[in-house]
Amino acid sequence: MLEIKNVHKTFGKNEILKGVDLTIDKGDVVVILGPSGSGKTTLLRCINFLERADEGTASFDTIQVDLHNASKKDILAIRKKTAFVFQNYNLFNNKTALENVAEGLYIGRGLKKEEALKISKEALNRVGLAEKYDAYPSQLSGGQQQRVGIARAVALNPDIILFDEPTSALDPELVGEVLTVMKDIAREGTTMLVVTHEMSFARDVANRVIFMDGGNVVEEGTPHEIFVQPKEERTKRFLQRVLPDDYSYHI
Amino acid sequence: MGFIDWKFLIDTFFVALSGVPVALLVTVISLLIAVPFGFFLALSRIYEIPVLNSFAKLYISFVRGTPIIIQIFVLYATIPLLLNGLFEKYEIDYPIYEINPLWYAFIIFSFNTTAVLIEVFRSALQTVSKGQIEAAHSVGLTTWQAYRRIIIPQALVAAMPNLCTATINLIKATSLGYAISLQEITLKAKVEANFGYNYLEAYLDIFIVYLLICIAVEYLFKWYEKRLSRYQLRLV
Repeated sequence: MLEIKNVHKTFGKNEILKGVDLTIDKGDVVVILGPSGSGKTTLLRCINFLERADEGTASFDTIQVDLHNASKKDILAIRKKTAFVFQNYNLFNNKTALENVAEGLYIGRGLKKEEALKISKEALNRVGLAEKYDAYPSQLSGGQQQRVGIARAVALNPDIILFDEPTSALDPELVGEVLTVMKDIAREGTTMLVVTHEMSFARDVANRVIFMDGGNVVEEGTPHEIFVQPKEERTKRFLQRVLPDDYSYHI
Repeated sequence: MGFIDWKFLIDTFFVALSGVPVALLVTVISLLIAVPFGFFLALSRIYEIPVLNSFAKLYISFVRGTPIIIQIFVLYATIPLLLNGLFEKYEIDYPIYEINPLWYAFIIFSFNTTAVLIEVFRSALQTVSKGQIEAAHSVGLTTWQAYRRIIIPQALVAAMPNLCTATINLIKATSLGYAISLQEITLKAKVEANFGYNYLEAYLDIFIVYLLICIAVEYLFKWYEKRLSRYQLRLV
């Protein structure tokens, strides 16, 4: 469904992405792991044109675009097929939860207002925020804000949702509620590309795990392949650092 | 307080009041002209658009670095000369030196206010985090839609206190219009005082009129700011 090829991106003198390829099929839940600075987030941002890649192509079903010099029309077309969940939630501060979700439907997609609101309410119900339609982001906890962020993405019914470290900015006790929502929507068949440090999510929910380091994809496979039988030395070292000692016994 | 002529004080108060419409007209028209230009140039500064950015910087330094009264004199002296040359070239027969000073006031005060507003808008727009426009883009809004629905409403809240200050400064600055015979508050009261040398009373009247207008404007802005910022969490 989504095929990304040879993505390069340099910030100043730092080469962040050194030719990354990625293929995602419908219904996939792909988790990207890797140490910080490995280019995971940048890759995600390049797919949605929040960052302009220096080189690379993306083919999205029938749409073919050059990631470096895509036209405004192409960018809008890709953005209509994707949705993005941000690390810092990035909810619209001047809009209520309901308006946050409806904005993209009503303004971006041009739906009628009643229809946009109906879909938005359903999306908020799905993430367990039926009571918070009229709350502004400043009145919500981090976990609630991120669930609104997920509802905002889900409501657009995109072909794929890109998650950029969705739980990294949360207090530890709020991580659970967000992961639960993500698991729910994954089970419903949503295609997801997730950058995260939550190993439990990668292990339990993903059907494919990609390990990135230094701007390259180092290793790719099922969670079992990556967590239990990693082939590459770099993957092993990374997992040793981030996993609790007794982790391997769990599997 | 025997040295104050109370009857004159009260009569002149109403004369000064009769200058309020002109003062407010100049203020409102200047703001209406300055807001779009100021906003546009603020964007050029933020996005560092080559020529416009340098132009805006120069323009701001020029306006900030010179007294308004001198700007008034310079523009009041040069505009007729420029127009004269233009009118002669195109053989337009119009008495340049009979142009209503109101037109000069519009030009001078918009010129001045635009420079002030560029910086007001620039700082306000920069308070809105980059994530807001990214989120708007990610849900399929165009940049223009993002600005209209997300960025500007938030920036406006941040701009309100400075916008209020700029407006009040502008209202007070219109008193310099007396230098180009603009029929505003200060000129009218001063003319009244000229007859019997009741300057103290006239100045007191001018003082009170400006004070009343500025207090009213301040309350108006406060009320509007409160309305606009309903979404913000109140910490106190």
